[in-house]
Amino acid sequence: MLRDLKKTIVHLSITSTLLLTGTAFAHDPVFSPGPHVLFKEGFEVHAEFFQGEQGNEKESEQAVALKYGLSGDWVVGIEVPYQTNQNGSGTKQGVGDIALSTKYRFWRNDRLGVQETAAIIAKVKIDSGNKEVSSGTTDTLLGFTYGYESLKWYRWASIRYRFNQKRSFDNGNELQRGDRLFVDFVGGYRPQVNDYRAADTVWLLELNGEYSQRNALNSVNFNDSGGSQWFVSPGIMWTKRNFAIKTGVQIPVYSNLNGVQDNADYRVRLELEWHL
Amino acid sequence: MYNTVKQLAAVIFIVAMFIFGSTASATESKYEIRADGLACPYCAYGIEKKFMAINGVKHVDIKLKQGKVLVTGEESLNFTEPQLKTLFNDAGFTYRTMKKLSIKEKN
Repeated sequence: MLRDLKKTIVHLSITSTLLLTGTAFAHDPVFSPGPHVLFKEGFEVHAEFFQGEQGNEKESEQAVALKYGLSGDWVVGIEVPYQTNQNGSGTKQGVGDIALSTKYRFWRNDRLGVQETAAIIAKVKIDSGNKEVSSGTTDTLLGFTYGYESLKWYRWASIRYRFNQKRSFDNGNELQRGDRLFVDFVGGYRPQVNDYRAADTVWLLELNGEYSQRNALNSVNFNDSGGSQWFVSPGIMWTKRNFAIKTGVQIPVYSNLNGVQDNADYRVRLELEWHL
Repeated sequence: MYNTVKQLAAVIFIVAMFIFGSTASATESKYEIRADGLACPYCAYGIEKKFMAINGVKHVDIKLKQGKVLVTGEESLNFTEPQLKTLFNDAGFTYRTMKKLSIKEKN
């Protein structure tokens, strides 16, 4: 019984890692958000493929998202994922929780060939998905992000905090997944500046940090939960006019997880975007 | 035979007048606009989209290194400073200056 519950908690923790952390828009890094928004009345159609492994847990997610520019500095979006979770006891799959997101760019400093910006982000994952894959909670993420973009060099930094809601089970148990803090630093380099209509490539290197509080069942903390992990994530962003492909891999470089837990093995993300 | 040649010459003349006559009177105007914040082509797409929505605009090109947007359109095309300030702001960039280049005659 306790083992099953533990498995459920591990599963929910990993599921919630995949979801709600992807708040990247447009010309942002792959694993972390940047301050980019859409032009006013513009649409972004976004498709995403994600896969990660942690011990014997393997998670994959395909998501589609639609975003809309309310102004030149404010964008809103909706995301619908389809998730597949595999572990030693089998495979679960289904439509995951719908997420609503917004980003407001509150500061912009434009110079010749340079744009320096800062934005706040918010995302809410609504308890709406298939019970097999849903975390069964409505979780909220708030964050701040800064970006410097020039024709040659890029740099971004962001901080996000996710508030996880308590989940009540039919048997009266209450599970509180630990809140999470994400910190990201990213550098980017464009080897060649091409004409507007030509293809454009930017290489990325991200440093992604995650700190998680312990999970608690009926207000009693689980020893084997929570802790911190850092990843180095090389990636590439390829664009042509209004179409973009981004991909990258997260490689764990430091783990300090509480108790006995499997470290993350890797995470891969591929994103396709169209601006319309 | 003579009549046939005369008729052929007349047809060629009319066709030539139609082709060259119709383009000789078509003119277009060109604007060179300076804007700041142009750091990537993908992000600049919004500028093209906003300009192409304006009646009379035929082509938009963006020179990232020079921070210039070149807009070509019909002779009657006319921009105002407030209009361009709003357009660039809505696209996520900062408008600086505008220069109307001399009207160019096509062909």
